[in-house]
Amino acid sequence: MNGHCNVKVNDTVEEFHSNNSFSDLLIDSKKSVVHRKHETSRKKDEDQSRLPALEAAYTSILRELGEDTDRQGLLRTPHRAAKAMQFLTKGYHETIEDILNNAIFDEDHDEMVIVKNIDVFSLCEHHLVPFFGKVHIGYIPNKKVVGLSKLARIVEIFSRRLQVQERLTKQIAVGISELCSQKGVAVVIEASHMCMVMRGVQKMNSRTVTSTMLGIYLEDPKTREEFLTLSRSA
Amino acid sequence: MEYQHDVEINGEDKYQNICKHNGLCKKEKDSKDDTDSNKLSHIEKAYTTILSELGEDVDREGLRRTPLRAAKAMQFFTKGYKETTQDILNDAIFDEDHDEMVIVKDIDLFSLCEHHLVPFFGKVTIWAYLPNKKVVGLSKLARRLQVQERLTKQIASAISEALEPAGVAVVIEAAHMCMVMRGVQKINASTVTSVMLGTFQDNPITRKEFLDLTIRK
Repeated sequence: MNGHCNVKVNDTVEEFHSNNSFSDLLIDSKKSVVHRKHETSRKKDEDQSRLPALEAAYTSILRELGEDTDRQGLLRTPHRAAKAMQFLTKGYHETIEDILNNAIFDEDHDEMVIVKNIDVFSLCEHHLVPFFGKVHIGYIPNKKVVGLSKLARIVEIFSRRLQVQERLTKQIAVGISELCSQKGVAVVIEASHMCMVMRGVQKMNSRTVTSTMLGIYLEDPKTREEFLTLSRSA
Repeated sequence: MEYQHDVEINGEDKYQNICKHNGLCKKEKDSKDDTDSNKLSHIEKAYTTILSELGEDVDREGLRRTPLRAAKAMQFFTKGYKETTQDILNDAIFDEDHDEMVIVKDIDLFSLCEHHLVPFFGKVTIWAYLPNKKVVGLSKLARRLQVQERLTKQIASAISEALEPAGVAVVIEAAHMCMVMRGVQKINASTVTSVMLGTFQDNPITRKEFLDLTIRK
């Protein structure tokens, strides 16, 4: 996991650990280290201008695979594949600030909030083949709650990129922890990797589970266990 | 490609419209001059372009060998072009007294949608009169750029032409990532296609029996 995680994300997590209380840590969103520099360098309005190069690359791939790029079914495939790829990596031009929309509310609630079974689709950065599954998110508010759909939108921002499941899990957790001070954040992802299912070892039923626990979820085993039990029930 | 060739030789036009296959055979011959490693390096270069046009940093550790891995993966996903039904159904033993129907259900199948180059996958169920073990290899025909309707027909016609059974029925139920991960984004939608040949086509009772047992609720 160490090899996959962005070193900057690790620094942030270490900061959490060294603080006594989660709520002491207030991260200025401008200093956010969850996004790496290149991950927000792509601008949405550049997508159109990048299409021809992507299309040419896909045409080349189809030809080198031995296909006939002039046959009816493949005529517009380079264009469609290029647009599909841009859609599947649109997270690169999204930041948390973009989607937040002031959806943080004062609420006197300090019990666990869980949003589970969020469908997640991403692309493995090693083979450019999809992996997908479910995300379960839990957090314990500290006088402020987050709009529930924002949790799902944060999953979208980080999953629509070339990813490694370990890093995706951590980025979601750290991203949520930056929204407002909470007592703890927990994220679990269970996914199936097409690079293992469709090729390579070809194990159909294998699943990969990764988790990130921050704050009280890390410190207190009972809280962690409660989250894991509630998020796994049918 | 194999099917069309056989059809011409036999003079049968029964399956004429089944395989509106790409002009693949021609391209295969033309590109035989290129070595495989040449093709691989061209595909690799294309993937490097794709990565940088998507805004990624191609020099970062996780992506350094990705163009090569992605190119190899893509070649694997389309290696079905080099496999023929003869290869897969080789050494089939024809036992004329053996006329029991064989059903093979839930064969895992993975393919690539030729419109978006994104996977689709699901299960194939085949009813036919033929030796059991040969049926399973047919999912290798899916390792091509495909359209689910055409894939279903190709599997059915492959069995028919190679073994001439009294009847063949093939059903594929699959999820298309191009619909699930992008576009309409309908997670639970699945696509079902079927082809019935021989007694399954002519006899409604046999067809009904097959459909009742195969189509999931």
